[in-house]
Amino acid sequence: MSKIELSMVVNGRAVTAWVEPHHMLLDVLRGELDLLGTKEGCGKGECGACTVLVDEEPLNACLFPALEAEGRRITTIEGLTIDGGELGPMQAAFVDQGGIQCGFCSPGMILNAHALLRKEPDPSDAEIRHALIGNLCRCTGYEQIIRSVREAARRARG
Amino acid sequence: MFEYHRPTNLQEARQLVLDNPGARFVHGGTDILVRLKSGATAPALVSLRSLLSGIEGTWVGAGTRVSDLWRSPLASSCPAIADACHDFASVQIRNAATVGGNLCNASPAADLAPPLLVHDATARILGAAGERSLPLADFFTGPGQTCLRPGEILLGVQLGSTGPSGFLKQMRVSMDIALVSAAVSLRMDDGRMRQVRVAAGAVAPVPLRLAGVEALLEGLPPSPALLARAQQEAAAEVRPIDDQRASASYRRRITGVFVRRLLERLTTGGEA
Repeated sequence: MSKIELSMVVNGRAVTAWVEPHHMLLDVLRGELDLLGTKEGCGKGECGACTVLVDEEPLNACLFPALEAEGRRITTIEGLTIDGGELGPMQAAFVDQGGIQCGFCSPGMILNAHALLRKEPDPSDAEIRHALIGNLCRCTGYEQIIRSVREAARRARG
Repeated sequence: MFEYHRPTNLQEARQLVLDNPGARFVHGGTDILVRLKSGATAPALVSLRSLLSGIEGTWVGAGTRVSDLWRSPLASSCPAIADACHDFASVQIRNAATVGGNLCNASPAADLAPPLLVHDATARILGAAGERSLPLADFFTGPGQTCLRPGEILLGVQLGSTGPSGFLKQMRVSMDIALVSAAVSLRMDDGRMRQVRVAAGAVAPVPLRLAGVEALLEGLPPSPALLARAQQEAAAEVRPIDDQRASASYRRRITGVFVRRLLERLTTGGEA
């Protein structure tokens, strides 16, 4: 199939990629743009390992047609790191609160939690759990993840 | 592998599907893309993104995302719809999935169907002869099947009523397809139940209005004995099957329980 040029803004930078019509955004991020932080878990929108932000909203990149990303603003986990490599606040909270074990769910989990706090700066545990329904973790049992998000929220409120 | 078209108007979209046998309309793609990744094939997808309207008053355009429906003033005046959105998959899916996609995918367990049914929704369809409307209950013709002819597009649904309502969904785990879902809408008028609407999902080949339960209750005061009869009638009226999620007998039983809980919630403000 012939490739089509796709232009979008990824982590604040304008990028162009050549994609085939059946590609999903996940294929472009990992295959064309070398952004390996976004993971493929189930490939069918259930595990959330591929969660990215499209215009600030969490979406599964494995089910997002690449061509629909034209002109959109994409944030991957790499985009949460501050210039110079310093961890962003949600990443730092996950690290120091034990919210990361194998790390495979972490990019998606952290991005989704980051988006949650932008909408709801003081979420209850129930709201955190509801927001993270689409992000599965096989390692932690979720308690440390909830704690990480709660702590990140507390720190952001100062 | 498939072609992916992004037409700029609905007629162009219809023509693309009519000219490409097997081509499918897509909006959020959360059902159809999963099927295409699991072995189903289509030569092309025709995207309806930005071609279908959102919410205007009691009109819910087929392009309305579940996340936007949940946040809408309309959902706050139709609690069954808000409840269904809350229980709908995950935030990632809600940001892609649409009302139109949920209805056109026509799973018997479609979460949005029972709430829309109890709010007297009418489906509006664009076809060769222009637009036509029909009650939403008649839109579904079988599991995964609708009355849409090739090239026809569901434009959206018009709600016939707003007001007190509720929705319950039974799942094994979060993000599960409903084992059973139920919605009820009614108004209390001088101690009597009026405009009673009851619908259930995942318990028949299509989302189902429970006309027998409605007839049993209409115009009567909500006594405990009457609600117990309604529970039995609801369980008897549905036609569930055994499958990997639940047995038919369990589904029958839970239908009755859900209908009763929703009736109690809407008539007495009881726990549900």
